[in-house]
Amino acid sequence: MAETAELKEREQKLQGMGTSLLRKEDARFIRGQGTYIDDIKMPGMLFGAIVRSPYAHARIKGIDKAKALACPGVVAVLTAADLKPVKLDWMPTVGGDVQAVLAGEKVHFQYQEVAMVLATDRAAAYDGAALVEVDYEELPAIVDPKKALLKDAPVLREDIVDKKDLTHGPRTHPNHIFTWEAGNKAAADAAFKGAEVTVREEILNPRVHPCPLETCGCVASFNKATGYLTLYVTTQIPHLFRTVLAMLSGIPESKIRVVGGDIGGGFGNKVPIYPGYVVATVASIVTGVPVKWIESRIDNISTTGFARDYHCVGELAADRDGRIKGLRFTALADHGAFNSHVSATKLPAGLFSICTGSYAIPNTYCRVDAVFTNKAPGGVAYRCSLRVTEAIYLIERMMDVLAQKVGVDKAEIRRRNFVKAEQFPYTTGFGWTLDSGNYHAALDKVLKAVDYEGLRREQAAKRADPKSPTLMGIGISTFTEIVGAGPTKVCDILGVGLFDSCEIRVHPTGGVIARLGTMTQGQGHSTTYAQIIATELGLPASDIVVEEGDTDKAPYGAGTWGSRSTPVSGAATAVAARKIKDKAKKIAAHLLEVAEGDLEWEIDRFKVKGNPSQFKTMKELCLVSHTGNLPAGMEQGLNAVAYYDPPNLTFPFGAYLCVLDIDKFTGEAKVRRFYALDDCGTRINPMIIDGQIHGGLTEAFAVAMGQQIPFDENGNHLGNSLMDYFLPTAVETPAWETDHTVTPCPHHPLGAKGVAESPHVGGIPCFSNAVIDAFSHLGVTHMDMPHSAYRVWQKCNALGLNKR
Amino acid sequence: MKVELKRKFPVSAPAEAAWAVLQDVVAVASCMPGAKITERVDDTHYKGTVGVKVGPASLSFRGEIEVKGIDAAARTLRLSARGTDTTGGSAASMDLTARIEPAGAHACTLVGESEVSMSGKAAAFGSRMMGPVADQVLNQFAANFAARLQATPAQNAQARAAPAPAPEAKPLNAFGLLWGALKAWLRALVAKA
Repeated sequence: MAETAELKEREQKLQGMGTSLLRKEDARFIRGQGTYIDDIKMPGMLFGAIVRSPYAHARIKGIDKAKALACPGVVAVLTAADLKPVKLDWMPTVGGDVQAVLAGEKVHFQYQEVAMVLATDRAAAYDGAALVEVDYEELPAIVDPKKALLKDAPVLREDIVDKKDLTHGPRTHPNHIFTWEAGNKAAADAAFKGAEVTVREEILNPRVHPCPLETCGCVASFNKATGYLTLYVTTQIPHLFRTVLAMLSGIPESKIRVVGGDIGGGFGNKVPIYPGYVVATVASIVTGVPVKWIESRIDNISTTGFARDYHCVGELAADRDGRIKGLRFTALADHGAFNSHVSATKLPAGLFSICTGSYAIPNTYCRVDAVFTNKAPGGVAYRCSLRVTEAIYLIERMMDVLAQKVGVDKAEIRRRNFVKAEQFPYTTGFGWTLDSGNYHAALDKVLKAVDYEGLRREQAAKRADPKSPTLMGIGISTFTEIVGAGPTKVCDILGVGLFDSCEIRVHPTGGVIARLGTMTQGQGHSTTYAQIIATELGLPASDIVVEEGDTDKAPYGAGTWGSRSTPVSGAATAVAARKIKDKAKKIAAHLLEVAEGDLEWEIDRFKVKGNPSQFKTMKELCLVSHTGNLPAGMEQGLNAVAYYDPPNLTFPFGAYLCVLDIDKFTGEAKVRRFYALDDCGTRINPMIIDGQIHGGLTEAFAVAMGQQIPFDENGNHLGNSLMDYFLPTAVETPAWETDHTVTPCPHHPLGAKGVAESPHVGGIPCFSNAVIDAFSHLGVTHMDMPHSAYRVWQKCNALGLNKR
Repeated sequence: MKVELKRKFPVSAPAEAAWAVLQDVVAVASCMPGAKITERVDDTHYKGTVGVKVGPASLSFRGEIEVKGIDAAARTLRLSARGTDTTGGSAASMDLTARIEPAGAHACTLVGESEVSMSGKAAAFGSRMMGPVADQVLNQFAANFAARLQATPAQNAQARAAPAPAPEAKPLNAFGLLWGALKAWLRALVAKA
């Protein structure tokens, strides 16, 4: 017993995988000692303010800088004409298109960047920006993507009107970007023809914005003497950013340093490369002093990295019992004015083909048509690995639509179609191989926890009572996510594969520094990665320092987005640590004068099998590795680098259930209960996982219940301040109940899967399904988001439910 | 975002006198709160500014006015104006038809129909109050127009003497306007009850 207690104590000391170690980064953050971009101040630094277009579509007839240049403090005004000689008035996008850095001939969306005023301080820059006079001729705008491909639609992109192809196949209209298909159309059509039951629903994922607390910005600092460029920037992808900057500027990549610093939330908003960064960089090269550019909240919501805007049609074919025989999903994608949609080269519609979800569906087909409109570019942001939210929203909504049509319970219809536990690894109709799962067990656990049958009985009683002031809705979502991009054979951006990396250096006294190609924005990487190393190497997590985001220090990687850090860099961390452990084992064998095979690992040491008094702790080995007492021919040190190319993506899943009550007279939906069971395989830090799930559910609640970016018919943005845009606080946010099952990932060294996006992807349809379920007995099969009180009230009113 | 406005204002002056003032674009502009003609390009084209103050923020629209038509028989003036806020964040345009209808020997009615559309920040932030604010603007305009008629005897206007110096353009104060809008709204509430 004493021995077990001793082992336990040693294990606890490490604070490794499975423990809820408090976040190492929080000691700084709660003291206000984070360093965000706007905290950086450099001597002689200029501030850049962007002059933006008030029109969604207009020709620029002239720009008069004179008054701005006369403004005290203003140093220079940059326009497209100034960028043209260095060929930086346009930049290539990762979507295969080009984007105006500063608009020269035309503006294509409201708030588009037209000029940058450089001044000695922020106020002077804004004053100067107010004095730049731009002469516009307004043009008709396309706001509705359904009108973009009409014959007489105004041509938005005159600059590429002759381009037959934007790297993703032939274009059929000047406003057409690409058409992408997957699956087998003939087989799907045949399944629909012979089906006993078919359902069809038009389902919108409205344009929303992740609205991170910190807006985007940068400080660019070019040293004329050395030709060395340092860019402090809000980016989720520091290494890819450096590569793109080298391609754009012609500066050797070795002379560019990108530093991510602390980032106040990204959610995909900080993946793209924005004009502001490029202009600030050019400005620093021109002036020879550092230049800072920081977005305002309005700039952030109106111009950078929006999400969704997918206008979908879902169709399912099934038998009378609700067993699905075919799937046809299509989407019209509004990509805004430029195709700066971040996606792997071969996947222009991202991972939309995960739309079969958790179900075994034969005969599948999907198609996405992307078009230009006079709105800001972007489209893959918001806690969603490349269009997975849209795909899962569609299938999870359609499961409910089908259940209502065939008269089967909404939990039961899922059970009937789930991929069974024994079928894994399971390859979907679209070719994705789901690595592991146990969907039936997850759903059953949730249903039991909430007494599902009791809830349905309560709902039936409420529906029978005409005097009930509320409608009760029960929403279920049993989603499968696809995260951890990705295998280089499927995924690359600009030719760079989406592998990731970890470099570990162990110091003589057992301290460790680990550097990774990912970039934390609040995910707790300093803690999670340290815990992986602690368990792998038997050194305490408290002595392990994690560094990311400085491209001069960290090894190359594709950054943090799409829940890829644990699946890819977490794996690289384990692999690098194991290389070190292998070397340490050789040293231990040498010191103990036994064969390696005679040693076994125990928490923090190698011990001789059958002779427990003979051992070497990792801490001892750290010091020895820096001496001359090593096996013959071995180099000093305990260092390793690993580059990890994942063999497959990971497929976390979950079962969520939401109970809400809708006031028939005000339309307000009150979430009574939200039960979220997640399975992300091996759990590294349960507390951090819970935190990520809370965050993701809160953002799911935001999207489902209130967020939307509306435009008027002229392309005016009507919701770009926090006066209009819904950002839930603790007041609005429901209480979350979390639960989990553990189905390890078979191909990940630790058995872990990504997690942070699951609650967003799975949460949104759960809320929608609950709201619509409340009306389902009245024949309602779908209502578009957001389910704000006013919109829900309109439904109550239309159905006459608010009449006493 | 667009707002359509249709208003009638009684004016206690003969129709001919009112029509004489209405044809004088410079005079008409000076009746518009916060507006000023800065340059006459030709008979039908003018340049001007409109200032609006919303609390600490000043919007200053700079733009062009085009007289689309003057129909003496129908005493109708049609003009369009478009401008950009010099702070770059907003733009506005307006199509206006103004008509004088006689109402007896010494009175007439000023009939105005306009369509105002706003872009940019003015649309995002101003949309809630735009209707009532525009109402107040027109009320002030009508009051200024009537005052100007009182000050300008009909025969003088007819004689086309050197135009009187335009009153100093004061920026349109949206706080005042909001207060006015609020009062109007409260009155409407009371009237309903």
